[in-house]
Amino acid sequence: MPLFPRPAAARQPAETPSSRPARRFRKTGAVAAAAAVVMALSACGGGSAPQSADGTVELRFSWWGGDKRAQLTQEAIKQFEAENPKIKIKPEFGDWSGYWDKLATQVAANDAPDIIQMDEKYITEYSSRGALLDLSKYDIDTSKLDEAALNAGKGDDGLTGIPAGINAATILANPKVFEAAGVPLPDDSKWTWEDFGRIAAEVTEKSPKGTYGAAAYGTDEASLGVWLRQNGKSLYTSDGKLGFEPSDISEWWAFLKELSKNKAVPSASEVVEAEAAPLDQSGLATGKNGLAFWWSNQAPALEKASGADLKILRFPSKTGSSADAGLWYKASQFWSASSRTKHPEETAKFINFLANNVKAGETLLADRGVYPNAEVRAAIESKLTPADVKVVKFIDQIKDELGEAPAPPPKGAGAIQEIIKRYTSEVLFERLSTDEAGKKAVDEMKSAISS
Amino acid sequence: MTTNLETLPASDKKSAGAGKPTNHRKPRESRGTLAFSRAQRTKALTKHAILILAGGLMIYPLLWMVVSSLRPNELIFREPGLWLNSLEMSNYTSGWSALTHPFGHYMINSAIVVIGSILGNLISCSMAAYAFARLQFTGKKLFFGIMLLTIMLPFHVIIVPQYILFSQIGWVNTFWPLIVPKLLATDAFFVFLMVQFIRGIPKDLDEAARIDGAGHPRIFLRVILPLMVPALATTTIFTFIWTWNDFFGALIYLTDPDMFTVPVALRAFVDSQSATSWGSLFAMSIVSLLPVFLVFLFGQRFLIKGIATTGIK
Amino acid sequence: MSAISELSSLSRRKGKATAEEKKANGRDNKAAYIFLLPWLVGLVAITIGPMVMSLYLSFTDYNLLQPPEWTGADNFIRMLSDARLHNSLRVTFTYVFVGVPLQLAVALLIALVLDKGLRGLPFYRSVFYLPSLLGGSVAVAILWKQIFGTTGLVNQVLAMFGIEGPGWISDPGTALGSIILLHVWTFGAPMIIFLAGLRQIPVMYYEAAKVDGASTLQQFWRITMPMLSPIIFFNLVLQIIGSFQSFTQAFIVSGGNGGPSDSTMFFTLYLYQKGFGQFDMGYASAMAWVLLLIIGVFTAINFIASKYWVFYDD
Repeated sequence: MPLFPRPAAARQPAETPSSRPARRFRKTGAVAAAAAVVMALSACGGGSAPQSADGTVELRFSWWGGDKRAQLTQEAIKQFEAENPKIKIKPEFGDWSGYWDKLATQVAANDAPDIIQMDEKYITEYSSRGALLDLSKYDIDTSKLDEAALNAGKGDDGLTGIPAGINAATILANPKVFEAAGVPLPDDSKWTWEDFGRIAAEVTEKSPKGTYGAAAYGTDEASLGVWLRQNGKSLYTSDGKLGFEPSDISEWWAFLKELSKNKAVPSASEVVEAEAAPLDQSGLATGKNGLAFWWSNQAPALEKASGADLKILRFPSKTGSSADAGLWYKASQFWSASSRTKHPEETAKFINFLANNVKAGETLLADRGVYPNAEVRAAIESKLTPADVKVVKFIDQIKDELGEAPAPPPKGAGAIQEIIKRYTSEVLFERLSTDEAGKKAVDEMKSAISS
Repeated sequence: MTTNLETLPASDKKSAGAGKPTNHRKPRESRGTLAFSRAQRTKALTKHAILILAGGLMIYPLLWMVVSSLRPNELIFREPGLWLNSLEMSNYTSGWSALTHPFGHYMINSAIVVIGSILGNLISCSMAAYAFARLQFTGKKLFFGIMLLTIMLPFHVIIVPQYILFSQIGWVNTFWPLIVPKLLATDAFFVFLMVQFIRGIPKDLDEAARIDGAGHPRIFLRVILPLMVPALATTTIFTFIWTWNDFFGALIYLTDPDMFTVPVALRAFVDSQSATSWGSLFAMSIVSLLPVFLVFLFGQRFLIKGIATTGIK
Repeated sequence: MSAISELSSLSRRKGKATAEEKKANGRDNKAAYIFLLPWLVGLVAITIGPMVMSLYLSFTDYNLLQPPEWTGADNFIRMLSDARLHNSLRVTFTYVFVGVPLQLAVALLIALVLDKGLRGLPFYRSVFYLPSLLGGSVAVAILWKQIFGTTGLVNQVLAMFGIEGPGWISDPGTALGSIILLHVWTFGAPMIIFLAGLRQIPVMYYEAAKVDGASTLQQFWRITMPMLSPIIFFNLVLQIIGSFQSFTQAFIVSGGNGGPSDSTMFFTLYLYQKGFGQFDMGYASAMAWVLLLIIGVFTAINFIASKYWVFYDD
């Protein structure tokens, strides 16, 4: 199987020396020839997917995560293999950042794993370039999966990702911090952004030095997404463009600066530090922040790290009505398959097992978020930890308040979070005004998703 | 003075030509302790004081890591300083068995790669270095330039083509992509290092051997290699440390968790999106530092076996 | 005439003599290529192919997932107007020109102190080398934050004197400085090379100088420096090459984003973000070859300058 199946582009430079006898092209020719050798090398082999004589199929399955997830997932693999003795699953795993470097390299070398754990940030990147299999053509039961989460894996290239878990953007509150400050927890069914700022500033004022009422937002696209939705805009439009103007994001930063001025959120330096810190060293986990912005599936880990009985809150809204909070269900991660897999049927079978089988659910529990399959979710509820149950309850509770499902991120959206982060620190360190930052950031985002 | 100095190399020739350098000189190490005048003692004491202070500052972060590995996980980032209220060994016991295999399994994997790499670097780099430093041949300058060029290109753009190459040979998920390049002297750093060392060895020594009828293999093995022990020790130590710590290469080429080396296994404790087992991470980091530290302690003996102790006055 | 000046004139004479000998000896092509064989095989089989391929890719639009498309010099033209790239060059140059001399000076100083004349030197050497053992370990980021964070050790000490320090690693004004410090902190590798080099200097030179009554400082400038010059040169060349490609430290401390506000966005970090983060491997390859050119120029300057200060005994 060729690595670069479209030879025209690659051949172009190699043809130059023969069609044009000029001497100065000799060098280009040599370079192209050597490049062609390497590419020819890569063209001859192709991904190895051994199928032994007795018909046993071996599939490679790759995911990111820590040691706990590795144990759970390998347990689920064993159960699948017990049910399907002709299919062997070889696990491959690593931590988040290394995972993506490795996956890109493997795909480039035509050596991708068959089953790939995928993130919303990169799914369009991979699917629009033909690296992912359209799973709708294979036998995977999607009837019991939550529709909003399922839609997140659909695009122009078909159904390239089956949701592995449901997530929602939340604000987590550490009651210990509120108690120590003597401030009551906010009522999330009717709070506004003004309330958020006022309460956070009050907590800071009544807390020891170094403790703040809230963590800053501005380190990811989710909090911006919520803000935009509440203002009738969106991060992306359905035709793959930016869904907002520079002035929208400027307002968002202006409010952040106001929070910062009132000491509702930490200083610029502390915000930057918190950004690079892992989850269990975040301000919320160490008891330095009363409120913080997190995805719902991260609540159990944060609860464990903080040692507090965290409360999951809805985002504030402009109007004070929780129906206007504009939340949505997001897939925490997806199950995808390589488009070059030699065994699409078996691959689909395994994904179907992960998504719909109660046994898989009983093993994986809520490690990748709330189960998108309602039946599995109900069946495993008794086995969940109290922290997981809290998340499931929150997800169920906001079901009727959800806004319209957001458009999937376009190609190049992987760069957006980094751009938001960078300009947030430019604003907080007062190196750029909010207006300038808005203009520059939007310019950069536009060129990132258009190229 | 002049005559004195110029006659000296002659005696070098004898000892080197004899093949077995005699060690009739005390190592320089101990010379400072021979005389004990009071002034010297105070001087030594101040030196010790400064070194201990500076050394303490240098390794403060490491001490913190050692102390943290002995703390319960939830206290690591809450308690400042180096004071320990209790000794908690559980990070070591649980960290050792937290992954699919006991941690020793990954250390054995690392050891295989490390030993292969060290042998490869010592043999192939010293051979190439001898050619560059002592022999005249067509294309020498060109080859030397190319060798330097190979370390100037950032490896991030090399990794994809190289992965394609190795995956075609079918070497992905074996130790070969990590060892074979070392056997073929692709680590130009060490070639260059050895070239510089060989050029520092007086040329009279090989001339003498040549007059005795020795060919290049013999000069290389009997004259040059014994005299470049410090460079070989340096190469061994660095190869050990750098290979032992190499994350990216192992990450890309080793896919099966059974094949993981130490740095990749250590990452399994890290989960940036969820909870990281810091205690286990620190504990196993320290366990994995131990062999490196021991190799360094042992290896530095050979660093100081320079010309000073191999017979040349 | 002092022994020291005698020494240097002797060495000059020696250099001439051997140059003449070489001509007489002719070439040893056969022996040389046999010695070079492993290296040549490695070059042809492993090194050259990927290098040439990356050169080819630098003239293409290549997103890793689809075949590359020839775009001529497009990538290089784009670089001219890439403000973040220009910033990354500024950061990298600052790092090289401040970090390399600083680290080498510290390494040489410590190597001289730890060379001889004191009990317990092996122990001290190990202690001073320890930080370098950590390499790119994930733990480094945490350790560094414990010291230079907003509530880290440095600021705790400063607070005792009533000074409120900045967040050293999180303030755009000081972040690069703290990375340079991290680089200097891991001076173990050049220190070891210096130590090994010091051991190669024949003791007789110092003994002769002592007889002549030369001071320690004179011995250092007239014997140690010239005799160590090939090793100093090696460290200088390799440290410059390595520092231009510096990646791991900034990657680990900033969590991979070169922040705050791109103040620790090194050239290779940006290259990595482009190549693997934004799937623009064509552009990343072009950046790599520009860096190679820059490093090549500096290395060439180094080699030319070395003729005036590096002394070889061949």
